[in-house]
Amino acid sequence: MVAIVDDDELMRGALQGLLKAVGLPARAFASAEEFLNSGQQHETACLIADIRMPGISGLDLQARLNAARCRIPTIFITAHGDEKMRMQALRAGAVEFLAKPFDDEVLLDSVRAALES
Amino acid sequence: MKIASIIQRYGLATVSCGLALAVAWPIDAPSSCFLLAVMVSSLFGGLGPGLLSVGLSAIAFEHFFLWRTFSPTHEPATFLRFAVFLAATLLITGLMEIKRRVEQSRTRAHEALRQAQSDLARVNRVATMGELTASLAHEVNQPIAAAVTDANTCLRWLTRDQPDLEEARQAASRVVKDATRAAEIITRIRSLFKKSTQERALVDVNEVIYEMIVLLRSEATRYSVSVRTELAADLPHVMGDRLQLQQVLMNLMINGIDAMKDIEGSRELVIRSQRADDDQLMLAVSDTGVGLPRQQADQIFDAFFTTKVHGTGMGLRISRSIVESHGGRLWATDNLPRGASFHLTLPTTIEVHE
Repeated sequence: MVAIVDDDELMRGALQGLLKAVGLPARAFASAEEFLNSGQQHETACLIADIRMPGISGLDLQARLNAARCRIPTIFITAHGDEKMRMQALRAGAVEFLAKPFDDEVLLDSVRAALES
Repeated sequence: MKIASIIQRYGLATVSCGLALAVAWPIDAPSSCFLLAVMVSSLFGGLGPGLLSVGLSAIAFEHFFLWRTFSPTHEPATFLRFAVFLAATLLITGLMEIKRRVEQSRTRAHEALRQAQSDLARVNRVATMGELTASLAHEVNQPIAAAVTDANTCLRWLTRDQPDLEEARQAASRVVKDATRAAEIITRIRSLFKKSTQERALVDVNEVIYEMIVLLRSEATRYSVSVRTELAADLPHVMGDRLQLQQVLMNLMINGIDAMKDIEGSRELVIRSQRADDDQLMLAVSDTGVGLPRQQADQIFDAFFTTKVHGTGMGLRISRSIVESHGGRLWATDNLPRGASFHLTLPTTIEVHE
């Protein structure tokens, strides 16, 4: 399953719709807390997360999952990612770092690669 | 229009002198009656009609009364009485004219002050919006990114071997929602750049709060600030300038966010609205930031007082003058256990103070 964590409702809907169109099962969460409390992180094969969110940020979420030895291939999507943030995310094991608006083909390639790994 | 007004004013002078004569004759009290006529003419007619009434009164006074009392000899007392009468009427006309000019210049000064305040408020708004550029751009970018993805998804459903029209329709309707949201945000941002029309209308304060939260959401998230609201339902509307009230909330919320930027621990901005006594409603914006400056807490509303590196020191000053021009009050208290609270009251009756 692909998990989507984004505080923006429109973005969640768009990502879910896109994954549905290519036949990938996905679930959306409005916050990192919601995802962590869902107990579904162990069934998640790929995580698509926003970086800047109220409460736990995307990078914090990644750190918490890593700390819990729950290494999920993560794709970050952000509107204001600088190079520093990008390096931090990639060092922590992110598979892709995309700026909004993103190329859906690039995103889907990353998702498929993550699911196959 | 102008000629009609001139005729009216000079007519008033003539009629009041005539009336004064008619009243003064039987009771033999010319001085007081004509002085009254001159006063009325100068007060309501201005300098020209005032002087006309002085002339008419002088003629009537000389012609009908001086001769009646002292006729027909030309004693010095007659001249003296006439001179005193003339001096008194001229003095009144002069005083009235001075009063009118003072009032005029005061009105002009008042108007200029209002204009200056309104310009200053706009400068403050635009400057504040300038600082928010990154966050506002993000707020617009977000729905546009969603629209691009949804439009691509729509194309995917349409260009499959077996197009799925229902799925495509759903994706297309999401595009409509995305684009509408982007347009709404741009409209809101643009309205804050407008010049204030200084028009008063009924304003739903909760709606204003909600709108400012939407605009400042990215700014809050950027500094990991969570925004919470406790808004009273069925809050009575306020008669006021919507743009200016938005500005007050924007200033208070941005101050709150700024105060928490460098704070360890929880960063929470709470916005409350509630009904208060005496047809007032009360708003409060509380943060868990650095708190009010010690020893200088009473200075924060002074012009040019700032604790920020790039602050202009005008935000709270302008906010307070806006709230006061709406007949309300704005003040600050410590927030427990940490931070500051800004409270403001606004009257809900249709009473507007200048």
